[in-house]
Amino acid sequence: MTNTHHDLAVEVSGLRRSYGSGKDAFEAVRGLDLTVERGTITALLGTNGAGKTSTLEVIEGLAPATGGEVRVLGMDPVADRRRVRRRTGVLLQRSGFAADLTVTETLRMWASTVSSPRSVPESLEMLDLTHRADVKVSGLSGGEQRRLDLACTLMGHPELVFLDEPSTGLDPESRRRVWRLVEDLRDGGATVLLTTHYLEEAERLSDRISIMDAGRIVREGTPAEIVEGHPSHIEFQNVTTPLPDLPGARVDVGHTRTVIAAPELQPTLTALLTWAEAQRVTLPGLVARTATLESVFLSIADSGHAPSEPAVADSDTDHDLEVAR
Amino acid sequence: MSTTTAPTPATGRTPSATTRVLGLARANLTLLMRNKLTAGYALVLPLLPLALLLGDRGNEALVSTGLSSALLMAFLFPVFYNLLSATVTRRDELVLKRMRTGEVSDLELLASLALPGAGIAAVMMTIAVPVALALGAPMPANVVVYAVLVLLGIVMFSAFGFWTAAWTRNAEAAQMTSFPVIFLAILGSIAPVLPDRAARVVEFTPGAAMESLVGIGWLGVDGDQALSFGETWAASAEPTLVMVAWAVLALVLAQRSMRWEPRH
Repeated sequence: MTNTHHDLAVEVSGLRRSYGSGKDAFEAVRGLDLTVERGTITALLGTNGAGKTSTLEVIEGLAPATGGEVRVLGMDPVADRRRVRRRTGVLLQRSGFAADLTVTETLRMWASTVSSPRSVPESLEMLDLTHRADVKVSGLSGGEQRRLDLACTLMGHPELVFLDEPSTGLDPESRRRVWRLVEDLRDGGATVLLTTHYLEEAERLSDRISIMDAGRIVREGTPAEIVEGHPSHIEFQNVTTPLPDLPGARVDVGHTRTVIAAPELQPTLTALLTWAEAQRVTLPGLVARTATLESVFLSIADSGHAPSEPAVADSDTDHDLEVAR
Repeated sequence: MSTTTAPTPATGRTPSATTRVLGLARANLTLLMRNKLTAGYALVLPLLPLALLLGDRGNEALVSTGLSSALLMAFLFPVFYNLLSATVTRRDELVLKRMRTGEVSDLELLASLALPGAGIAAVMMTIAVPVALALGAPMPANVVVYAVLVLLGIVMFSAFGFWTAAWTRNAEAAQMTSFPVIFLAILGSIAPVLPDRAARVVEFTPGAAMESLVGIGWLGVDGDQALSFGETWAASAEPTLVMVAWAVLALVLAQRSMRWEPRH
């Protein structure tokens, strides 16, 4: 119990998780450190196979770790399972329901296992399922099943919620509803750790983001900190006139488009446009944007299974160019 | 959609283990009854063999065969096969994995799966008593032996159900994977036609132990020998031990092999 901070809902250090043994052994999580502060929404981002679900399952106490330490609300999720579960809510990546039970029967069944549960009507209302109360789960749409699943997750007023891809398969309307729900949870004092494929979702919802690649956290911080230090991009269709020297920027002339990665967007863009004006060059299809979570994420995803430091390379080139931080 | 309320500290009412098990078992019973074929097998097959008693009223051999077969049906259908298919189905539907994220313990989850079939078997074998009497069977010699037999059979075949589920790929495959346990159960009934040495081995199967216990507990006979009430206790010791040994073996197998989610 040493070293447990009361402001941390989740504390993971040096986590490892392997599947199989011998020749077929595969290490999905390779020394992962993660902390989640109470009262925040933290998103775990990563490509398919980065190890997000493998990590979450260990934190949820569903699978044992091969190595490392996990504390959830200051407790061990496996040894203190009963006490931890009373205070947590889990949404798995894939919903698990008996197809032949109705929505109400499913919620009633859940309620029988939960400490101080919300009532079934309240749960139905909360996820807009009242009109589907007597429908069998097999007759629900994917989005409705996901909402039913969330109703189960939130039934016991959890103070810590794990959501594995909560909005995958939802239509835009349902997705926004889920976002509001997650924000309400945080505003009500709960802590949320979620995984997602949707960068927009992570950017919009999260107080902090951890990006995973090949079983490790490769970048961590607030959404603003994550993009900080990553190059902005200027793009246009190739022109015949040779480009000017743009200090600090990296120019990559592709088949049809030229991509400039610049540590500082404004001076580089000014230099480029001044040159274009003087040379009477038109830059067709000109686009300029600062780094987004998406561009950072893609650069990590494209850098292959990178070492612990994220590569700052542009996605289209092989040679790295140091960009000022 | 209303907004969520602030999390409450975990001081509220916590359901007891019994509440949790009964809540889940109720859902499992609903599912069992909603599957017409499973429900039909569970409710009809266990009493069907008692029709044998109609053949020759008062014939003890028929009473023995009829009751043994009734027990076998109760253990194999509502208990074993129903539990096997329910466990495999719930596992494939990811219900087991989902439930394990909640407050329910693994043991409670297993109990809730086994309870509906166990309950049906127990009720059926209780109903079997007046039905058999009405059809001309004698009063049970030692009803405790019969009750223990029913209880041990339910535990053993539940454990076999979980164990078989562990290596059954999906609900369809259960039609094949159920065979070893079914074979083990019916092996006892073919003992009379086997050569002596083989018959001696078969005596140690659960099916044969069940048949001896029906003889001792209901008819008050051990083989050809009539027993007094006092003697039924001693006579039932060996076959009861055989049943206990199989139940323990099945529980150990089940405990070692239990899987909570489909293989990837």
